This record gives sequence, C-alpha cells and structure tokens, in this order.
Amino acid sequence: MTSIRLDTLTKKFGAFSAIRTMDLEVHDGEFMALLGPSGCGKSTTMNIIAGMERPTSGRVLFGDRDISNVPMTRRGVGFVFQNYAIFTHMTVRQNLAYGLKARGTAGAETDRRVGAIADFLQLTPFLDQPSAKLSVNILQRIAIGRSAIVEPSIFLLDEPLSNVDAAFRAVMRTELKHLQRQFRQTMVYVTHDQLEAMTMADRIAVMDHGVLQQVGTPLEVYNNPVNIFVARFIGSPGMNLLPATLVELGGRLHADLGKAGLSRALTAPLAAAARGQKSRDVWFGFRPEELSVAADTAGLTLAVTFIERIGSRTIAHFDAGGVAVKGVFENDVALQAGSTAHVVAQEQSVRLFDRATGQAIVGD
Amino acid sequence: MSGVTEAPGAAEAGDDARASRKLGLYLTLPAQLLVLFIAVFPLLMQLYISLTGWSPLTGMGWWNAWSLWNSFQNYVELAVDNRWWSALLRTLLVMVVCVPAEFLLGLGLATLFMDNFYGKRAFYSILLMPMMVVPAVAGYMFFMLFQSGGPVNDLLSTLSGQNIAIAWLSNPSLAMVAVMVADIWQWTPLMFLILLAGLVGVQEDQLKAATLLGANWRQRFVTIMLPRMKTIIIIALAIRTIENFKIFDTLYIMTGGGPGVATETISVYIYKLITNDLNWGYVAAIALVILLTLSVALGIAISRMGKASTEVTK
Repeated sequence: MTSIRLDTLTKKFGAFSAIRTMDLEVHDGEFMALLGPSGCGKSTTMNIIAGMERPTSGRVLFGDRDISNVPMTRRGVGFVFQNYAIFTHMTVRQNLAYGLKARGTAGAETDRRVGAIADFLQLTPFLDQPSAKLSVNILQRIAIGRSAIVEPSIFLLDEPLSNVDAAFRAVMRTELKHLQRQFRQTMVYVTHDQLEAMTMADRIAVMDHGVLQQVGTPLEVYNNPVNIFVARFIGSPGMNLLPATLVELGGRLHADLGKAGLSRALTAPLAAAARGQKSRDVWFGFRPEELSVAADTAGLTLAVTFIERIGSRTIAHFDAGGVAVKGVFENDVALQAGSTAHVVAQEQSVRLFDRATGQAIVGD
Repeated sequence: MSGVTEAPGAAEAGDDARASRKLGLYLTLPAQLLVLFIAVFPLLMQLYISLTGWSPLTGMGWWNAWSLWNSFQNYVELAVDNRWWSALLRTLLVMVVCVPAEFLLGLGLATLFMDNFYGKRAFYSILLMPMMVVPAVAGYMFFMLFQSGGPVNDLLSTLSGQNIAIAWLSNPSLAMVAVMVADIWQWTPLMFLILLAGLVGVQEDQLKAATLLGANWRQRFVTIMLPRMKTIIIIALAIRTIENFKIFDTLYIMTGGGPGVATETISVYIYKLITNDLNWGYVAAIALVILLTLSVALGIAISRMGKASTEVTK
C-alpha cells in the first residue's frame, strides 16, 4: 500500500495547459475522487499517474519514491478503463490470468490466484466463457479482477460507470465501494458525476480548467466550497448565487439583494469575516435545500417561474431580478408558478464569495 | 349462400403479392441475364470445349467443336503432362517463398510505422510506390537491374570488392531468385498497407491495458495485436496467395519463362499453349482444373486458418 504525491505537476499539449501547477496527496488506502467537468484535466492527471503521459514538469511520487521515469509497464498500478478494455478475444480466465502470465508467474500459482479472485468477484461460473458477449457488470468485475490479481498498491479507475444506465449505476457504486473496502488499496477515481464522488470517495479533489480547486471530504466540499465554481458544481441543483451588496443595518451586517430585498442579518462569524476582508460586493450563496417559505412577507421576494415535481421533492424555480434561483421543498409546498413567494435562506447555510475573485469569504 | 364470407380484399391482396413478385422478376431479369451471361456462359463454354480437340486452326466455330469430341482425353493428357506438373511445382515454389516473405516484411514495416519517426509521411509514400508501378514496367525494370552488367552486380561488386558479373537471368536457379525478388518488391507494399490498417485498428486501450498489466512489447504483439488482426491477416494472405498463383506479367517480361522452362509457371505455360500450339481444347481443360483446385484449396485453407487462430487464443 502506497500514498501518491503529485508535486508541482504541469502538463501542456502544445499551447494548451491541461494541468496547471497541481499539488495533491492521496493518502495510503484512501479513496480519492477526481471530480470535474469534461476537459478539466482529471483524466490527464490520471494518465500521468499511470505513466501513459509524461508531465511537462513536476514529479509523481509513490510513497517516497519518485516514479517520474518509471515506464508504465513497471509502475504496477491497476487501471480500470472507461470502456473496461477487456481482451474480448480471450476467455474470462485468460483475461484474469493475463497480468500473472506477463510476469511469468508459475502455472499452478496462476491457477490458484485466478480461482481465488474469480471466487471473490463471483466470476467462477463465467471463467471459461469467451468474454466478448458478457454483460456490463460482469465486464466491470473482470476489469477490476484483472488488475487486482497482480495486487497493485494503487488502483486507478477512469469513469468506470459512465457507460452504464442510471439504475445499474447505483448498484455498481455500492459494489465498487464494497470492493475498495475489501482490497484496501489506494484508489483514484476519475468522474464527472458528483453523486459518484460524494457517495464513494473518502476525499474529493475538484478540478476545473486544469486547476485543482478544492480537496476535502465530501461534506467539506459540499458545505464549505472554497469558490463559486465548487459551489455551483457540487450539489444537485448547485448552490444559488445572487449578486449582493453588504450593508450595515442597526449594527448588524445584511446583504442587499436588490429587487429580491434584504437578507436576514448574517451570522456573527460570517459578518466578522466579511468586515475583516472589507468586502462589499459579494455573491450571496445558499443551498436550494436550505430555502424555506416565510410565514409572513419578510425574507426574500422572488417570482416563481416554474414548479418541477421530481417525486420525492419539489424543485421551485425563481427569478430574483434576472438571476435564476432554485429551491428544493417538500411535495406539499404551497407555491404556484406565476405568483410571488417570500422565502428565507437559513442563516447558518449562507456563504459569501468575493465578487472580484470568486473566493469564499471565511473567518480564520 | 354459404356462411363463410371471404374477408373483403383478401383475394385482391393475394393478387397484389403475386403481381409484385412478377414485377420484381421483370425488373431484375436483365441484371440476372447479364450475370448469367458473364459468369455461367463462359464456364459452360469452357467445359464444352475442354471435352473436345477443338483448335481455331480447324476453321470451325467453337460451337461446332462437338465434331471433334474426345470425351475426357484432355484431362487424361493433363494428368501425365510433365511440363504441366513442373510448371505447377514452380508456381507453388514461388508462392511459398514470396507470400510469407511479403507477409513478414509487410508486418515488420507496418509495426515500424506504428511509431512516429522523422520523415514518416515521405517514407509512407515511397513505400507504396512499387504497388502502383505497372507490372510490365516493373518487369522491365528488374530485367535491366539483373543484367550481367546491371546495377545489381555493380552493387554486389562494390560491397564485396571483387568484380562480380553474375548472369542472373540466364542461370536457371538464379532466374527464379530474380523473379521472386521482383514479386516481393512489388507486392510487399500491399501487405504493408493491409496489415498497417489492421494494426491501427487494434484499440489503443487494449494495448495500454496489457502494458499496465506488465506485458512487454513482444507479449503485447503476440497476445493482443496478432489475435486482434486475425481476420485482416487471413484476408491479406488470401489476396496475395490467389494473386501470386497467377504470377505472369513481370515474370514473362524478365525471363519469358526461361532460360528453357526454368521459370515457366502455369500462367506462362498456358500462355504458350494458347499462342504457340493453339490447342484450345486442352487449355480449357487446364483452366477448369486450376479454377476448381484453387477454389477448393483456398476454401480449406481459410477455414483451417480461422480455426487455428481461435484455438491459439484459447
């Protein structure tokens, strides 16, 4: 078992910077999700760890060992491809045995280990079948087993669930997490699906445009996004962000949201942080789930544009003076499209971001 | 009146189906006749002539060949025709040397072209050039190259430091070598092109997966690339085997089948029978035998190769 350290890593493809100065440490035995939209550099990062690409500058360390110059044949990382890259011209057994055979492991030992891993992954009934026509969940298990059999200390997974339909994805998420607990390897999991990252990862590294935005546990990233990109990207729907001006009113700090009205007083720590940074123009952020309908006409005045019922919850779309706001409510919420609503964002959930830099305003 | 009433329109529907079948037949009839004329008619004509002693010298039209009917005498003659058997052996010799050589060279070159190197595009164009040379011109080129005062001997002289003047084309065994060299030169590019297409078609992920599992280049080549190229390899070999069996133009210009009959392949033999002896009934018999043998042999070979390669991967 090994930790992975990326040390001032950069990668350029011609003039395009795929990764800009990235430092990241994945702890021993940790499940780290690399999360970001397409083209954010997460797959490139993964390929550099695997040795398929060379970094333009910077180092990759496994434990204390600099492996920047170790070719991918000898890095010994397990890799599960997006399409699984199963050797479809072989049987399941041959697929599983491939890594051991390539290393020249003895026949009896190979048979024993193939048997063991097939047993563990419930692949035994399929062992002698050609792998070409098996279903996706079996292919996934073959892909994992094929890498796991050589007992790599590091496991990399490149969007392994993106080819699977939604219902199955939920099953496979559980299965993958379960497998990781069993193997206890250091795992890096690339995905653009925040649900996968949130449910499976110990920590999430959010990337955008080749820049590492934030690293933290799923709840840290969800509750305290460091900037407006992470705030919008994490959560479904993402965090609401309204342009606001901070005003002192009766000794307490409020956010003036223009047409939507005035917010409730900010909490003391947040107000202190905002005062400390002398912030005035900010983004006023809150989660759609933290919105509630006000009992009176106090709170924010928003026009209801659209009501979306998704079964368990109701998502209300509001217009706050040209800015779209979403709120997630119980199904029996008394809101109607075309009407005006008075809603309150729960004080503890409010986050402020500097409008000039997009960075979160937080106390020390 | 009976209680059974026919569904309205049922009879009409039946008529419609019949009518549309008829229309279909009429519409495709010209094409079918054309195919019949092109493929079946010459075959039947050949079969007919092959059972006679007909020659254009008799002055009769081929349709009157029945008057020279000799049953299977042409086929019996063929079975004991030493010149035919030697020609067939020579043809097979050229095939077993040239086709594997072209395959291995083509595969080697295609593998080289998987990597990037300086001047790759230029080399690519140059490599394909022999294939585009008219075979007759290629024959003339190699005829000149292999003259005793020609560039091949000059090159050998320079390399060895001795004065070498080998009479390539008038030495019975060396003439065969020269002919084979010309064939390999001209047709390796085709192998290269087909096999390169096959190599490029092997998914990169498969190779990366094998590499990450610790397979070295040789292991990747044997366990991933070759099995995944199985179909295309069979196609390439089949195309070249069929083509090589018919080797004629380059060879004929270089040696004319000589010296003596040293490079006389079946095509050259047939050509001589047609132009010199004008024994066309015999030629028709040979042509039919070749067609049958080649079809059967190739059919067996392809099914064997298919089976063999699935077993290898098991």
